[in-house]
Amino acid sequence: MNTNSNVYTVIYTAVIVVVVAALLAFVAGRLGPAQDANAKAETLRQMMSAAGVKPTEELYAAKNAEILQLYADNIQEAYTIGLDGEKNGELSVSKDKIELIDRLKPQNKAILSEGVATLPVYIFKSGISVIPIYGAGLWGPVWGYIAFQSDNHTIAGAFFDHESETPGLGAKIKDEPWFREKFIGKTVEWGDSPAFRLEKNAEASGASNAVDAITGATMTSKGLNEALNVWFKAYEKHFGMGAFFHMLEEHAVETTPNAEEE
Amino acid sequence: MAQKLKETILNPILKGNPITVLVLGICSALAVTVQLKGALVMALSVIAVTGLSSLVCSLLRNTIPNRVRIIVQLVVVAMMVILVDQILKAGEGTYAIDKQLSVYIGLIITNCIVMGRIEAFALGNKPIPSLLDGLANGVGYGLILVIVAFFRELLGSGTLFGFQVLPAGYIPNNLVILPPFALILLGCIIWVHRAIDKDLQEN
Repeated sequence: MNTNSNVYTVIYTAVIVVVVAALLAFVAGRLGPAQDANAKAETLRQMMSAAGVKPTEELYAAKNAEILQLYADNIQEAYTIGLDGEKNGELSVSKDKIELIDRLKPQNKAILSEGVATLPVYIFKSGISVIPIYGAGLWGPVWGYIAFQSDNHTIAGAFFDHESETPGLGAKIKDEPWFREKFIGKTVEWGDSPAFRLEKNAEASGASNAVDAITGATMTSKGLNEALNVWFKAYEKHFGMGAFFHMLEEHAVETTPNAEEE
Repeated sequence: MAQKLKETILNPILKGNPITVLVLGICSALAVTVQLKGALVMALSVIAVTGLSSLVCSLLRNTIPNRVRIIVQLVVVAMMVILVDQILKAGEGTYAIDKQLSVYIGLIITNCIVMGRIEAFALGNKPIPSLLDGLANGVGYGLILVIVAFFRELLGSGTLFGFQVLPAGYIPNNLVILPPFALILLGCIIWVHRAIDKDLQEN
């Protein structure tokens, strides 16, 4: 048989491509559910690490099924908000419908272009609410989850991850527990510009909304700072008002006795 | 015959090592050797891809039209790489490593060793020797990867496979973590290899 004829070449390549495509489609279909389960569990690990449901190492040591159960046991409700700060949708807290990290990229675009955003807010039974952040690091995207105390003002915990930051430098945002632990107890000053500062020597100012950038990872820190502030700005109307009312309430409690005296 | 098979297996690991002698696959050797775990998974992935691609291409060798043989090889290699990536993503234990290796698993397709062995060996040899040749080249590649990763993780993070080995007071060397150091280390390995094996020395 002449394997160099045009007809043979065309048919041969066509057959090879179709066979390979069919095989890959079959494998992708079979492995799809397992991959989804991994991606879901990863999202939940990061979210629950920020929310302080369990220590990060324990979350990463746990099996996927345990993670799903842990989430189901601890989540109270979840909803989405638009850029106007108003609720614009409910999110199912069923363990079958978990919003993956992949969904943060289009949301980030929506925030930047001031389009229609559906930004998630997760409220845990402990009263802690968790929001995601997303932005560009040095080599690829960086993202994370920030958890707030019930006053929606004090940070209860944080978790950061990245796609391809330099190991030992930018990758510290994920690898070094001390970095995410620095955020605990800090505040986000809704309405201020910037609402939070991740900068060189920021802690020296004594401000409660400041964390030092990582030495040797200037670009990653800058990207993360940008991601934090862009997303905090997007949630500002939602949480800012809540924090304001919370402050009023505290204030009211303090001043009521005085008012009665008069 | 047995002698020839033995040579097929041993040559790529020692005298004809794809990295230290042929200087192929350097790029990924610099990129994925920061930690042993990642390097090991990468090595195993490359072994699977080179072995299976060589096997399939050898099976097809008499039917492939000569004018499009590179394209057919590419399709086969790409398929193997996607399969490996999909399997790593699906495994509960390997998911995190796949995430850490990110694009480098996909980039195995551009690893010159894979196509190089298909062109140089698989298209002219029977399936079993081709499979062995592919596997052995993958092992030769993986061996260097693991050696480089051993030193980089030890000196760069003070750990091995994520476990603290050096005393807690050890200050990790950031230079070791950056790609240029992998190149220096690779140079040292080539130096040692040539010092031991005099046949590799040029006049």
